[in-house]
Amino acid sequence: MTGTRRSPATGAFTIAGLVFLWAPLLLVALFSFHSTGSLTFPFEGFSTRWYDEVFSNEVISTAAKNSLIVATSTALITVLLGTLAAYGLTRTSSRLRGPLSLLFFLPITLPGLFIGIALLVAFSRVEWSLSLVTVTIAHLVYVFPFFFLVARAALERLDPALEETAADLGAGRWTVFRRVTLPQVWPVLVGAAGLAFALSFDEFVITFFVIGPDSTLPLYIWSGLRRTIDPSINAISTLLLAFTMLLFVVTFLLTTWGERRRRGRGLTEDPLVLTGPAEGTT
Amino acid sequence: MRKPLSIGPLVLTAPATVGLLLFFVAPLVAFGVYSFLTGTLYDVASPLTLDNYKDVVETDVNRRLARNSLVVGGLAAFFSVLIALPMAYWLRYSAGRWRGIVLFLIVASFLASYLVRIFAWRSMLGRNGAINRGLEGIGVIDEPLDFLLYNRFAVTVALVHIFLPYVVLVLYAGLAPLQPSYLETAQDLGAGRLQRWRRVVLPLVAAPAVSAFLFVFVLSAADYVTPQLLGGTSGIMLGVQVQVAFIGTGDFAYGAAMAFAMLAGFLVLYALLALALRLTRLDRVRFAA
Repeated sequence: MTGTRRSPATGAFTIAGLVFLWAPLLLVALFSFHSTGSLTFPFEGFSTRWYDEVFSNEVISTAAKNSLIVATSTALITVLLGTLAAYGLTRTSSRLRGPLSLLFFLPITLPGLFIGIALLVAFSRVEWSLSLVTVTIAHLVYVFPFFFLVARAALERLDPALEETAADLGAGRWTVFRRVTLPQVWPVLVGAAGLAFALSFDEFVITFFVIGPDSTLPLYIWSGLRRTIDPSINAISTLLLAFTMLLFVVTFLLTTWGERRRRGRGLTEDPLVLTGPAEGTT
Repeated sequence: MRKPLSIGPLVLTAPATVGLLLFFVAPLVAFGVYSFLTGTLYDVASPLTLDNYKDVVETDVNRRLARNSLVVGGLAAFFSVLIALPMAYWLRYSAGRWRGIVLFLIVASFLASYLVRIFAWRSMLGRNGAINRGLEGIGVIDEPLDFLLYNRFAVTVALVHIFLPYVVLVLYAGLAPLQPSYLETAQDLGAGRLQRWRRVVLPLVAAPAVSAFLFVFVLSAADYVTPQLLGGTSGIMLGVQVQVAFIGTGDFAYGAAMAFAMLAGFLVLYALLALALRLTRLDRVRFAA
């Protein structure tokens, strides 16, 4: 390890940057507890009235439920498709590798406006009515590259000798994946799944075009922002922030715990030892 | 021994490939085709034409919107990179035991909701917002400043806020190969602070910085939400007009032409930046880890 360099100028910059990033968000959180409808200073006392309002509003709870349904489905399907794609692509020597990598990355490069309208056009052409299903499809397209990039990077870092040895010892493909590959990468996959969930849960730009009559939490906030001042938006925003932070911390802890456990075991045991009999031999 | 079935692993990519072809590539192609069709109300009809693009280019209003998109996207991208550079530098070389917590704060703010950030800036910059009230409180101003909100400035500030964490992370990753010892060596060889930045740090982060710049520019210039909520009438941008064509006026062909003209602009910018990197040979700078 090398020592740290003193750099007061960049240090001051970083502090300013953190203030810039967090001050507006903390302000929103502070005024979500305001006793009056005013969104600004002077602060006239604490109250949880806006939270009471949010929790008793059925439109909001329906929107939150929809967001949860969409984000959960998106995360689960993304984990499945993304892991398969990343595993397949890192283990093949086919000439399609390059074009497929590009295809799997491409949605990241386009602004949501394009993905949203393109899907709106396509859905109307094939006469699919807009619903949470179309929203989930749109989110899958949007979230997939993020998950894929993380999963591929994790799979590429693995030592191929481990998988080859397992295969040589007679383990079938599925067994190799389940007992050799997966134990090494699952913490990263869990982290990427958390990211997929968070991206989907917060998505607005694309969702706006493909949602139809339903609502999600971002959509509700949008309509609130278009109306006049609505202090309950502060409360929803703060809840959303707290939820995202919680999700982030849980995912982070789970990932580091998994990594540590994996590393710890790697040090004490020979990683080549496959516990239990190998199944699915060819 | 190698398994004989070489098609094997590729099959695993099939579900994702089919999904993206059906729900990403095909829709984009359809969207693109719309821009060459004749527009009717809430639909398009068959004769192929270039008139939509002609309309887009010849409409005066669009020139103003394009300028707004260019200025806001450019400023947002420029300031994101400018602010992120020292932050990434500090994180990489000076953070010490603070690195973990600062990285956490940056990633956490990155995950904060997009709409919530926009809303937060409306509360900051408004006539009765935190900044005006704060300045009034300490007696700097008597009347609230009206030029903070509902213009390009407000849109730019919010976009920098939205993209800054991302750019910091990209540049921080870009600095990973540059060992602190290299900076020490440069110092020992007599390079001053400025020289070290110019000849060691900047060449290394040039490529990631340009890609982050491009990413922020494209997402900002095509944004339709922030300008609508913070831009007022003077800060309206191209993305808003495209959205209105599809959701409001129903002029699909015109909206599609506008979107693809914008995309063409992005590709030109991408080509220019890639060319600039190549001409300055900064695309090839690599440090051995």
